Amino acid sequence: MSTLLEVKNLKKYFETPHGLLHAVDDVNFKLEKGKTLGVVGESGCGKSTLGRVIVHLLEPTDGRIIFEGEDITNLRGRELKNSRREMQMIFQDPHSSLNPRMRVRDLIGEPLKTHKFYSSKEEYEKQVEVLMETVGIAKRVANSYPHELDGGRRQRIGVARALSLKPKFIVCDEPVSALDVSIQAQILNLLMDLQDKMGLTYIFITHDLSVVKHISDDICVMYLGNIVEKCNAKEMFENNLHPYTKALISAIPIPNIDIERKKILIKGELASPINPKPGCRFAPRCIYTEDRCFKEQPVLEEVITGHYVACHRVRDINKNL
Amino acid sequence: MTNKLLDIINLTIRYDTESESVEAVNSLDLTLNKGETLGLVGETGAGKTTLAKGIMRIIPDPPGKIISGEVFFEGEDLLKKNENKMREIRGNKISMIFQDPMTALNPVINIGEQIAEVICLHQNVSKAKAIKKAQEMLELVGIQKIRFNEYPHQFSGGMKQRVIIAIALACNPTMLIADEPTTALDVTIQAQVLELMNKLKREMGTSMMLITHDFGVVAETCEKVAVMYAGEIVEKGLARDIFRNRSHPYTIGLFDSLPDINEDSKRLKPIVGLMPDPTCLPIGCNFSERCPYRTEECEAEPVNMIKLSETHSVRCIKLRNMKDGDIK
Repeated sequence: MSTLLEVKNLKKYFETPHGLLHAVDDVNFKLEKGKTLGVVGESGCGKSTLGRVIVHLLEPTDGRIIFEGEDITNLRGRELKNSRREMQMIFQDPHSSLNPRMRVRDLIGEPLKTHKFYSSKEEYEKQVEVLMETVGIAKRVANSYPHELDGGRRQRIGVARALSLKPKFIVCDEPVSALDVSIQAQILNLLMDLQDKMGLTYIFITHDLSVVKHISDDICVMYLGNIVEKCNAKEMFENNLHPYTKALISAIPIPNIDIERKKILIKGELASPINPKPGCRFAPRCIYTEDRCFKEQPVLEEVITGHYVACHRVRDINKNL
Repeated sequence: MTNKLLDIINLTIRYDTESESVEAVNSLDLTLNKGETLGLVGETGAGKTTLAKGIMRIIPDPPGKIISGEVFFEGEDLLKKNENKMREIRGNKISMIFQDPMTALNPVINIGEQIAEVICLHQNVSKAKAIKKAQEMLELVGIQKIRFNEYPHQFSGGMKQRVIIAIALACNPTMLIADEPTTALDVTIQAQVLELMNKLKREMGTSMMLITHDFGVVAETCEKVAVMYAGEIVEKGLARDIFRNRSHPYTIGLFDSLPDINEDSKRLKPIVGLMPDPTCLPIGCNFSERCPYRTEECEAEPVNMIKLSETHSVRCIKLRNMKDGDIK
């Protein structure tokens, strides 16, 4: 398998009146072609910022983004525009991510026009038609406006727009969070079918852990700008090692009254990402802390093959290591 | 023995617009006993929130109107009460928690005062006493009382939702209607809020109607469940009836749509199609269009609730002649 995307020491800080906000802090990962990397975490952990920095909607503060072996961190102008053909994004809210004054067919055709991705008017029409068919939008709604459609159909338009330039890589930022469960399942199936058919690579950002398990090959858990744990999806649910991951997974309400589970309730809430204190970012809420946790920041280390954790006490907490 | 706290009979609520009318709640029957928690589950547009607002009589009119029915609360019909009497009940005997903690609080009044307000309004106490009680409520929901004078923007989402719970419970209501109380929150915060609501329910004996679309939340909090679809209840029963023995094709479809974190299935089984247009519902079963077990009979006439057991009933023709379990 070949590596499609590599992110090295990626940082994104925002200047605020109160100090420097560390939205993404020293993130590293590799993503193989045709695979899906799930990024989970709670609101404010920097997962959306990470997605946006990778597709160049935001400038990284530091670090490198390598796409198909080429460093694309500092691309500008025409080169940047070309690279955007390869990397697309699906946004969270299908209600606000579509221009309300454009018709469905124009919305789907817009990226084609921007990138002059056709040679004749007929070809353009044909491409729009094919895209609508691919994502399952009926021809009769081609002239409708987004407000006439339900959330599921609107999100299909979002998917069609992302696919229109035949990208290799798509960042899906909470694509199903705004949808009802029965519709959510339709969109998830669509995304997985498209991946099989077109060999797409996804980064799938979500706060919904059952969704991420379903769609991802690998999962990384973020907390206040850092990746705290990363491994394959199955392992993440069966043998999670970081105290935050443990609490996060135990907090998912499971729709089954016959499974008795012990919940790990963590106290308090996310600390401020502005001028973070030294030490582990999770330490103020962690029940296993020792002195060291408040002084030095743990690095992501490989504790089992393919399983990375950033925690000083990982070996004390997990007896099986 | 009558321990019925809330008894809704044949309630119909309609929204009239210039061109169309929508029956958001359609001949609905539902009961809630004292001390129980009922989970009302359904997707967007099923009429869950309209039902809750109907009970509280806060449907915006126009366009909404309660067309028919009775809502008995502690033996008295709420729909027959005048506005003044209703005001005495709202926030006092029946409280409501709204979905979005970001917009439910007044941004220019400090949170302490917002809690004290409801106490002053309903209980014959001095301002000082109300403030003291408000501080107790804050501590009860896990916020230090030194934050009494702070404003909503100084709190996070989870904290705001706690403030709203404090307001809702300040007068020790007999019944609490919680409309998607944790939907806007992160999972770890959701776990904290659910834990808090369960604890308060145990301690104060409040009955609760929990409106949600999340069966996971229902599994953790509710004894009874009612599933709503297009303005009607399609299945109701004890939690164990619904989780172990669900029978309506819609309920089954909803469960199948959920990605299961305990299993490795790679493909989800969504319900095909969409909820029917509420302005022109089918004559027969509302779910028939999307139902894999549809027959001609289903589309011919409205379907009534069928009792499967003392506690469990379902609105589905197929189950009328079938033994429980055949449909699965």
